[in-house]
Amino acid sequence: MKYFMADPAKLELLNRSTDAGGFEVIRIDSLRAYSAYKPSRLPQSDWEVTAQPKSADGTRQFVLRNLRQDSYVLLNSREYYLWNYLDGRHSLEEIGRAFHLAFGAFDYLLIRQLLTKLYGCGLLESKRLLDFQLNRGTLPDRRQGSGLRRNLLRWRAMSLRVPNADRVCSLIYERGGFLLFHPFTFWLCLAAALCALVLALPFGQNASSFAYFLKTRPWLFSGVMVASLVSASILHVLVHALACKAHGRRVRELGFFLLQGIVPTFYADVTDIFMSSRRARITVDMAGPMVEVVLGSVAILAAQAASAGLAQALLLGIGLALWESALLNLYPFNFLEMDGYNILADLTAMPMLRQQALALIPRLYEQGLNFKRLARAEWLQLAYLALCLISVFIYVILHIDGLRALIRL
Amino acid sequence: MELVSEFLKKVSFCQDLNESARSKLAELLISKKISAGAIIFREFDESDCLYIVRSGRIIISKHVQHQVDIVLTRFHPGDCFGEMGLFDTSPRSASAQTETDSVLLRLDRKAFQQIFSDEPEIAARICYRLVTVFIERLRATNDQAREAIRWGLEATGFSVAPEHAPLGRRST
Repeated sequence: MKYFMADPAKLELLNRSTDAGGFEVIRIDSLRAYSAYKPSRLPQSDWEVTAQPKSADGTRQFVLRNLRQDSYVLLNSREYYLWNYLDGRHSLEEIGRAFHLAFGAFDYLLIRQLLTKLYGCGLLESKRLLDFQLNRGTLPDRRQGSGLRRNLLRWRAMSLRVPNADRVCSLIYERGGFLLFHPFTFWLCLAAALCALVLALPFGQNASSFAYFLKTRPWLFSGVMVASLVSASILHVLVHALACKAHGRRVRELGFFLLQGIVPTFYADVTDIFMSSRRARITVDMAGPMVEVVLGSVAILAAQAASAGLAQALLLGIGLALWESALLNLYPFNFLEMDGYNILADLTAMPMLRQQALALIPRLYEQGLNFKRLARAEWLQLAYLALCLISVFIYVILHIDGLRALIRL
Repeated sequence: MELVSEFLKKVSFCQDLNESARSKLAELLISKKISAGAIIFREFDESDCLYIVRSGRIIISKHVQHQVDIVLTRFHPGDCFGEMGLFDTSPRSASAQTETDSVLLRLDRKAFQQIFSDEPEIAARICYRLVTVFIERLRATNDQAREAIRWGLEATGFSVAPEHAPLGRRST
């Protein structure tokens, strides 16, 4: 992102000599003072840091958590190196020198961006400035422009939250929720899913009769389908949250919001799982879709047990819809940060993969599409973008008839 | 050197005065040569006159701590300073010092009051112009305050514009 930066502000100081009359005028710009600034982080009891697994390009990232205000920030290895020097004893000039010796070069922009991150996260001791920054958000912002734009922003930010989400989840976990994460439960679910898969295959021969039953009661079918999917979605996020509790981490929020400002979605904020292992994160990511898999399997097993007719068709329809929902959730290449994307981000150790990939395109243009300079991680970001585009294209092609019908409506 | 009354044409608060008024004012001014580095007045000194810079450069500063002042502004030929001393008996709000060898014209408060009583029309014209000087200085002070705040923000690394996206994971 390009942004305008004014010349450094300047102060002129008149330094009087101790002997009568003489003086010297010194002009100090803010950058010079900045190099003498000694930023100080919070006491160690107020933050924790977790090293992430090595990413594709061999670098390691770190997640830093502010325990005072429960906020998180992702640091790359260079930023983490700098973080260790922000103890209030080293000036930025000294830090820059140490960085230069360690990495061979130093750009002040790097530390300025880091300090912005850390201020934003409240990890630096500068309460007054931090308050100022936080209060800035409450002032009317002229940049927000027209009423339409303001309303769009409000719309995007709309969300409903369960109060005391962590406490609620802890109670549910302690009162039986923990059983969901017993190995026996996992194997039972897997067995049910395999049985359902085997039993679902012969249903394909009778597809036309099921379709006939469902066409006779379209509103009932639609109503039951929506109710099933919504209930499954609520259980889905609850199980994500319980999985987070199973690993002893905090559930920050549980609620409902508009994904990308469009898709109404239930969600569980499990950011705290970044402080656990990669395995724990993947368990949390997988736990949600397992709900649809298990419920879908149960519906298909019930359809198998039911006699031929509307009830059987409904159960089968629900079962297949839930399975499809699980598959969609686990598919990572759709530009949305769903469970599959989270798993991909964890496997590649790139927690901000989507954001980085989207930011890469304008940067590439600025560099004159010079692909030779791309690092390995950036190639991965490009591959992610390409697969997302191909997937969306294929999805549109496959659903072109449905989209046409939608437009005609 | 040109006549004082001629020189006054260049002085901002004498812009509305005609030649005879300028001559009358010139009679009341006291010329003073000051070498570089000399202190004209210090902050908190008694305040009882205005100065016009005829030549040289004057630096105005305010004490911050120990031996250090912050430079507020500089005045060049045609500028005036210390104008508060014409109206107000409060001590000087800043220090004035010559940065180069300078010649100043001094207008005492008593002389100014004499203009008020003898030539009220001239006094009114001077006052009107002085108000515009005050306004300009107030604006400059505001700009300087803003610059000082910007300086503080930049010096503590607080002013970097782009905001970062916080790390978060919403499982859906």
